[in-house]
Amino acid sequence: MTVKYVGQRMTRTEDPRLLTGQALFVDDVEIPGMLYAAFLRSDYAHARLRSIDVSAARERPGVIAAYAAADMGEAWQPGPPLVIPPPTLEDVVFHTRTQVPLVKDKVRHLGEPLAMVIAESRYVAEDALEDILVDLEPLPAAVDLEDALQPDAPLVHDDLESNLAAHLVQEKGDYAAAREKADLVIRRRIVIDRCVAGAMENRGIVAHWDHKAQQLTVWDTTQAPIPLRNGLAGMFGLSAHQVRVIAPFVGGGFGPKIMMFYPEEVLLVWATLKLGRPIKWIEDRRENFLTTTQERGQVHDAEIALSKDGRILGVSHAFLHDTGAYDPYGLTIPLNTQSHAMGAYDVPNYHSELRVVFTNKMIVTPVRGAGRPQGIFLMERLLDIAARELGIDRIEIRKRNFIPPEKFPYNHQIIDQAFASLMFDSGNYLAALEKAAEMIGYEEFVKEEQPRLRAEGRHVGIGIVCFVETTGVGPYEGARITVETDGRISVATGVGTQGQGHFTSFAQIVADQLGVSPRDVRLVTGDTSEFHWGTGTFASRGAVVAANAIHAAAKSVRAKVLKLASKVLETPEEELELADGVVRVADLPEQSVGLGELAVLANPLRGAVEPGTEPGLESTDYYGPQYGATASGTHAMILEVDPETMMVEVKRYVAVEDCGTMLNPLIVEGQIHGGVALGIGNSYYEQLVYDETGQLLNASMADYLIPTASEVPRVEVGHEETRSPLNELGSKGAGEAGTIPVPALFAQALEDALADYRLEVLEMPLSPNKLFALLHGKEVER
Amino acid sequence: MRLSGDYVFDGPREDVWELMRDPEVLATALPGTQSLTRVSENEYTGAMHVRVGPVSGVFSGRVLISDEVPPESYTLTVEGKGGPAFVKATGSVRLTEQGADRTLLEYEGEFQAGGRLVSVGQRLLDSVSKSMIRQGLDKLNDALRQRLAAREEG
Repeated sequence: MTVKYVGQRMTRTEDPRLLTGQALFVDDVEIPGMLYAAFLRSDYAHARLRSIDVSAARERPGVIAAYAAADMGEAWQPGPPLVIPPPTLEDVVFHTRTQVPLVKDKVRHLGEPLAMVIAESRYVAEDALEDILVDLEPLPAAVDLEDALQPDAPLVHDDLESNLAAHLVQEKGDYAAAREKADLVIRRRIVIDRCVAGAMENRGIVAHWDHKAQQLTVWDTTQAPIPLRNGLAGMFGLSAHQVRVIAPFVGGGFGPKIMMFYPEEVLLVWATLKLGRPIKWIEDRRENFLTTTQERGQVHDAEIALSKDGRILGVSHAFLHDTGAYDPYGLTIPLNTQSHAMGAYDVPNYHSELRVVFTNKMIVTPVRGAGRPQGIFLMERLLDIAARELGIDRIEIRKRNFIPPEKFPYNHQIIDQAFASLMFDSGNYLAALEKAAEMIGYEEFVKEEQPRLRAEGRHVGIGIVCFVETTGVGPYEGARITVETDGRISVATGVGTQGQGHFTSFAQIVADQLGVSPRDVRLVTGDTSEFHWGTGTFASRGAVVAANAIHAAAKSVRAKVLKLASKVLETPEEELELADGVVRVADLPEQSVGLGELAVLANPLRGAVEPGTEPGLESTDYYGPQYGATASGTHAMILEVDPETMMVEVKRYVAVEDCGTMLNPLIVEGQIHGGVALGIGNSYYEQLVYDETGQLLNASMADYLIPTASEVPRVEVGHEETRSPLNELGSKGAGEAGTIPVPALFAQALEDALADYRLEVLEMPLSPNKLFALLHGKEVER
Repeated sequence: MRLSGDYVFDGPREDVWELMRDPEVLATALPGTQSLTRVSENEYTGAMHVRVGPVSGVFSGRVLISDEVPPESYTLTVEGKGGPAFVKATGSVRLTEQGADRTLLEYEGEFQAGGRLVSVGQRLLDSVSKSMIRQGLDKLNDALRQRLAAREEG
């Protein structure tokens, strides 16, 4: 077998459909007799529901039904947690409090649904919301992360003693002893605030109970169609085989669409089962700002201890993590933060105390990066400050502390997001750092260009930071591959697709194994009637877990093809070759049989089938990694600041990525470009601003600034390839890599650009206003 | 959000005071007011149409006057609710004589709001509320001048 397509920069096979409007999105689903849902949402972040009366809404012409929590009876249940809560360990506190379909007693975050109206049109449904009489008693809100833990803070959950959702300590070595021996200890407070994912397509659901067929079909913008199907079946007492969940083309996932069950998902299904008519709901942008999950709020008191030659002796931090009003996603995000707080470095001693806090804000679940940007920001910032204090170049101090290639697999001696040992499978961190430094021209810039620009009075800085990214986590994914009778290949896998280019990169793997063109591989993702085992698209795992399952299934089918061809061509398998859609005798190429013909022969209409064989050229296989593959890289940028307006311009951006084997470098680069754009947003533009009552003050695209083409520079991508030893393809994830290092990088470059102000950037995101405040009153050193 | 400001009326303090306690005059002065009814000595209910940037809608609400010291000062509490938002404001209003026929009005208060008005219209809230107050006071001043003129003629 020759590797012909894996690793090629193929343009995406799905793009013609997407670009010509031929791809199905949830809102394209139209079914005769369809109804439309709208939700009455709380205008308060925290309020007691004294009464609600939906009867007037029911009277409005065109309204089919209106429901409040009491109308749901037994069906009203708080959602099951999405991620299994931590095991009962000593010293681990975890209070599970999950979201509810409709508010019954108390509103806990802005936008929480109070009632649902189903009508002949969305317009009527929205109008009917105004008919609902609701009496809410506003309560003081727990908004600020630190204030929420004060003894007099309003309680988000009245049955708990405080807003503490979880508490956990992780320890490696002996930080206190390391600190004693240190030549330098640096202590800083680091604050990171909230952002949205801002997917182009908002959430959307169509739920359709076909009573005669006894079949429920749900189109959903979910990243996890199979768990959604399993959960809905369980919740409503249906067989999993009566429920089909389809995640068609989805206009961006970025994490929040892995969340389930959103109240709307439960409510639409409940209502279609009751009414027997299809119901559609498409989230509007304001609802998206208010009620799609968010991330990143953390406050760290962090410390690093070093020897005078810049060796890290230990890192310690106590931090607060904002989980919002509920915690269905367990500890995934803060555990990820801990897993990345030691960065790419060989840190012998580590101490981390985590406190998760309930607040009257939208629920927090992963947003592209998922706790990793915070961990990397902490480590890289502390290292930058240490380098400055010790008079060591920032590249040099990193080189001195990297985990060296020979130390892999590296056991970090703490637990990861799956409560297993945090292992880094492989890496070559120095190579990526050196490549990035060379690509951006670090030496030359620092020695020649920067002094020249500074002499001209310009504030231009350079940044260079390193990162790791745990990717490709279990439990498993699977795929079924079939050779069709026309010789084309059909592939079904459980993961959904939200723009990752799966149709192309997965097809490349299959094409190599089965000797066809990737254009002859038809791929279905995210339809539970096509494939119904698996978990979903998250944690940068598609190209690792699903890809290796597809690889395994393609190999099995290849074996079946060759076995049958050997019989047909009366030639030993070793003398056959499979290419261009036919199996040939290697030295007699005119003796051949096509894949389509073999598929027909594998499914005979007459005669007897040999015992122990299966019909067709088809195989289903699975892949589950022992643990996640660790991607890594170095990003560098040159940034100019205008100290009058505080506006910034990224003049150059270099990203060197190591995601192991690249299935398709063009797709990897696209992922990096998008990730960097979000990272730039997280650094200088995007921030959710809540007031002290929990009102979100910038819930529109006019006020919440997502960087546009004029803020995002051209990203120059370089590659290193350290294959993962954990899977046959050698792949690691790349979906979140672009985002993770950007805030740390941006901070370093800003400080460098404004070196004469002796600026220290310890919070993210910044903005022109915040930078002005930071610089205000600072003595300028000339 | 905090609100504060001042305004000079072209008339004596007693007349300004009287005007400000007349719901019919108030209803014409507050932009967008559809109705304003006095339900008790110090309480009014009404409906008002408000537009802030892209957000508009009808608010129904309650206005309460307390801590009254005629003709010097009172505390005003406004609570409104509507499709696009809820608002709650409390403020103190003080009238000071500036000579025989001029009166200085000073106001200071807190303004709380939520809902679509805030999440989408926040940027405009400050300037819209200031301009609404300004427009309202201008109208009151017009009414005052008309009243004084009518009295001179009458």
